[in-house]
Amino acid sequence: MAIDSAVTAYSPGQVNRFTRVGPGKSKDLLVAALFLVPAFAFLIVFVYFPTVLAFVLAFFNYHPGGSMQWAGVSNFTEAVKDSVFQRALLNSLYYAAMMVPATLVLSMAIALLINRVAKFYSFVRVLITLPYVTPAIGTAIGWLWIYNPSFGVANTILHWFHLPPSQWMGSPKMAMPAVVIYALWHGIGFDVIILLAALSGLPKGVLEAAIVDGARGWTRFFRVTLPLISPTVFFIVVVTLIGSFQAFSQMFALSVSSGGPEYATTTALLYIYQQAFQYGQMSYGAAMAVFLVVGIFLLTMITRWIGNRVVFYQ
Amino acid sequence: MLAARRIRRLLRGVIALAIGLVFLLPIYITLTTSLDTPAHVFTYPPHFLLDFNWSVWVQTWKENDWLLYILNTVVIAVGTIAIAIVTTVLAAYALSFIPFRGQAVVFSLILLVLMIPSETFLIPNFVTMAKLHLVDTRLAQILPYGATAFGIFLLRQFFLSLPRDYWEAARMDGCGHLRFLWSIAVPLCRPVLFVIVLDIFIGCWNSLLWPLMVTNSPKSQPIEAALAQYLTQNSSDWQGLSAAAMFATIPMIILYIIFQRHIVRGISRGEGIRF
Repeated sequence: MAIDSAVTAYSPGQVNRFTRVGPGKSKDLLVAALFLVPAFAFLIVFVYFPTVLAFVLAFFNYHPGGSMQWAGVSNFTEAVKDSVFQRALLNSLYYAAMMVPATLVLSMAIALLINRVAKFYSFVRVLITLPYVTPAIGTAIGWLWIYNPSFGVANTILHWFHLPPSQWMGSPKMAMPAVVIYALWHGIGFDVIILLAALSGLPKGVLEAAIVDGARGWTRFFRVTLPLISPTVFFIVVVTLIGSFQAFSQMFALSVSSGGPEYATTTALLYIYQQAFQYGQMSYGAAMAVFLVVGIFLLTMITRWIGNRVVFYQ
Repeated sequence: MLAARRIRRLLRGVIALAIGLVFLLPIYITLTTSLDTPAHVFTYPPHFLLDFNWSVWVQTWKENDWLLYILNTVVIAVGTIAIAIVTTVLAAYALSFIPFRGQAVVFSLILLVLMIPSETFLIPNFVTMAKLHLVDTRLAQILPYGATAFGIFLLRQFFLSLPRDYWEAARMDGCGHLRFLWSIAVPLCRPVLFVIVLDIFIGCWNSLLWPLMVTNSPKSQPIEAALAQYLTQNSSDWQGLSAAAMFATIPMIILYIIFQRHIVRGISRGEGIRF
């Protein structure tokens, strides 16, 4: 399901390149309809209808098991004025601003390194991608221990480099970077895998021609390799960006559900969850979700617009 | 010259291996913490060796219903897989082997699902579950994932890659769609189905937000949500927490070691959605 959110970035392009859609026989139409009914039954009840309902709910005051009262735009105005929600949106933005470049650089470095390692290639790939399939809370517990100010490994490492110890998840300043480090560890395997797939699919001839022409090291990387894999790189940017705004488990786990210290790790989705399910403010949560979703949608559009101008599609 | 190149290659291998081990370290630390003798837990610098003191594991396992949580997770995963595979196979087949008017529109509706962030429908789905009196049931965690747009997309892609001649030949012999689907298309697409099954299983095992919303008692809680609750209640019992974390993590590690080829293939195929 992690992959599901990954593909939200891509809109229907040329849909039917392969099937020739001619006027089918009426019997075919019947069979097709029967085959499509089960899937669409679920999609209508649990995706299409609730998407509409999400917008409707935001205009009412709904209480679980209780009534619905018209609330106009009051939920929206309340959200705009809510200083914690503003903080949460900024936190999400801050998280995304750290995650996107860090993911890109780190995954590229790792992929380039292990791509040329014949010896332990598959073993190293397994180790790096393992965290990606492990549960977030399960692994965050280990990281909470690593970040423990008195006994954790994180401060031991700082000590090796003669740096002052940090409070990590106890410090409003360091908490979000600490979440980012954890999130990179947890998620980078996904990016490394698709980069490795892109690198292995590079046309050999082009690379050899570049070598013959004397393109070396970094020149070859920036002039030949990077343009060739730019669609994949762009894919990673979009997926990481959207994923950052959807981040929940990471902050929930490392802040032990609080979003603290001092709201430092309260991201938009975590705040929506807290309001809707810990304080029962369903409609208020729905109104904030509308803001978040519209924001994600606009961001996707902007990124796509930029991508279409920058990315080199063969 | 040749020796220098060999040394450089070896060096690169060693660096790669070191990075790989760094990625393993946090899980290893969780393991050592859970197996430490009490004297070794609170030491500085940290103690890195395995003590194999299983008493915390036994105690943590006994004091909470972990087996029930794992069972819940498996029931939810198997239920989701059973429903999703049927809906996926049928829909993907209709969208690739049966030409009908409006196919492109129907397919765009599937792609639309991939574009809607899941946060949109979490709260409304809770409202639906409340209306259906399904809050705090395992069924409430199965139904919303009964159809997977990603799976339909992936399988349709595969069906389209099959030669049309198969269907033409089968039809000549008087074979209908249902028969063709069951005896030819499904056996051929088993590897893709397996990728989808793994994706759903891992997704169910690791899912947190929706279970936190829709469950509130152990009878329906899956492992990750139960662990989250355990964490908020025992946030200073490091050894117990680490042992519980291992209960949730080890099955995924084993699954990954066995099926890593399939999982990696699933991830790199997922990228094929860009076109």
